[in-house]
Amino acid sequence: MSADDYRVIVAKDLEDLIPVFMNNRHKELDALRTALAAADFEKLRQLGHRMKGVGNSYGFAHVSTLGKYIEDGARSGDRTALQASISEYGDYLSKVQIAYE
Amino acid sequence: MRILLIDDDEDLRNLVSRYIRGHWPDAQIDGYDPLERDLPSAAFPLRSYDLIVLDYMLGRGDGLEWLKALKQRDDCPKVLFLTGAGNEIIAVRAIKAGADDYQRKQELTREKLIASIRELTASPVERTVSPDLASRLEGHNLGAKVRIPGIKVLHLIGEGGTARVYLASRETDDEPLVVKILRQEIVLNRKAMERFMEEYAMVERIQSRHVARILGHGKHENNIYLVMEFFEGGDLGKRLGAKPMPPQEALQLFRELMFALGDIHEKGILHRDLKPQNLMFRRDGTLAIVDFGIAKNIAAADRTGAGEVLGTPRYMSPEQVQGRALDLRTDIYSAGVLLYQMLTGKHMFDGETAMEVAMHHLNTVPPSLPGELARYQPLIDKLVEKDREARFRNADEVIGFLARKFEQQPALETTVNLH
Repeated sequence: MSADDYRVIVAKDLEDLIPVFMNNRHKELDALRTALAAADFEKLRQLGHRMKGVGNSYGFAHVSTLGKYIEDGARSGDRTALQASISEYGDYLSKVQIAYE
Repeated sequence: MRILLIDDDEDLRNLVSRYIRGHWPDAQIDGYDPLERDLPSAAFPLRSYDLIVLDYMLGRGDGLEWLKALKQRDDCPKVLFLTGAGNEIIAVRAIKAGADDYQRKQELTREKLIASIRELTASPVERTVSPDLASRLEGHNLGAKVRIPGIKVLHLIGEGGTARVYLASRETDDEPLVVKILRQEIVLNRKAMERFMEEYAMVERIQSRHVARILGHGKHENNIYLVMEFFEGGDLGKRLGAKPMPPQEALQLFRELMFALGDIHEKGILHRDLKPQNLMFRRDGTLAIVDFGIAKNIAAADRTGAGEVLGTPRYMSPEQVQGRALDLRTDIYSAGVLLYQMLTGKHMFDGETAMEVAMHHLNTVPPSLPGELARYQPLIDKLVEKDREARFRNADEVIGFLARKFEQQPALETTVNLH
């Protein structure tokens, strides 16, 4: 991913919601890792579905994209794909840059 | 206004509340977390709410079941159903279960949410004073009135200059469909109607996988309708956003578009209105063309003598701008403009006015592709030649060119995953 892919623009009036949003994403990442370790595909599917729904709404399109990958991977039971997507999610959350406009 | 917001996702509750309060500062929004609470009991005061916003996947429950249960109550207000599922069958089921409107979470914007809530909560007085609301209300009522054997018309999902568009479902299996009902002003124009029926009868006979399947058309009382397949994958405009596509994916789609044009040109049909919104994707990623210049034909017939009316000019061929007689090369030009946009993520020409953009098609040399895309420049050049005599003559020529110049590209031979 290029530097631009880590840059997200969020509406100014949503700025105060972002700390909660990001905190929930980090909790989500932990939950994903736990669910993958336990091979809990139903939980992974639910978490992926949630990411898919919430990411775009806040302007984090990549969260939605990864959510879809995780939801699809959980449906097919593809642990390798899930591992890759969750790893990418962790990388993304550690590098994402947020600007408010 | 008082709204009950049922969603297991704290972030969605926060966002929806913020959008609503941004528009209605005095709105009272009660969050309801289904992870912590069961379905509202009979004692729960639903009547005190003007609207329920209800999520589909509730974490530990099915929003559709909640919807059905809530709607069985006499005191249930209007319900806006939110779904994170891309599958439109959920929307069909939600509307059948009593939802008054639905929104996909992935596409939820402030504007869409406010428009939906405004419509669902508007008083009759407000409806009569707002032409936009009145039009949508009329559209909703119209959809409910039209009877099509075997098909249930569910919900207004769009309006254009010639038709209102409804989500519908086949009664036997809930398969989502689209029903278009022509506007009365079009129906009353006999010449326009004859052309419409004639052209769609032709499209029905094409039987190409690259063309939207028309499943029927007919008349109920004074309403003319069309039934066509529903496209879950959305349109090219939505897929593009403002970003370039990987070149091989763009070429793959472009090649499919050429097959589509080949199929319709063979039947003597020109599309004349190719644009991203008219290229739709099915669930399996295949592409199909919709809206066969109907609007353009009808508009032209309807407005004779009233001066030239330009639609979106971004994809018009020079001969279209000049109002000359058209042949299939006009579609080849428009497809070239589309390919430029797919490759670069930018419009070929921009301008302050529609006329300015149109004149660029007539007079301005197209911008060159960026260096990394230079190998596609000869293709673009020959597609968007201003002199149509110098352009590719037909889709087959383009397909041959693609095969000769790019056939070594493995991606051209594989199916692109469009999801």
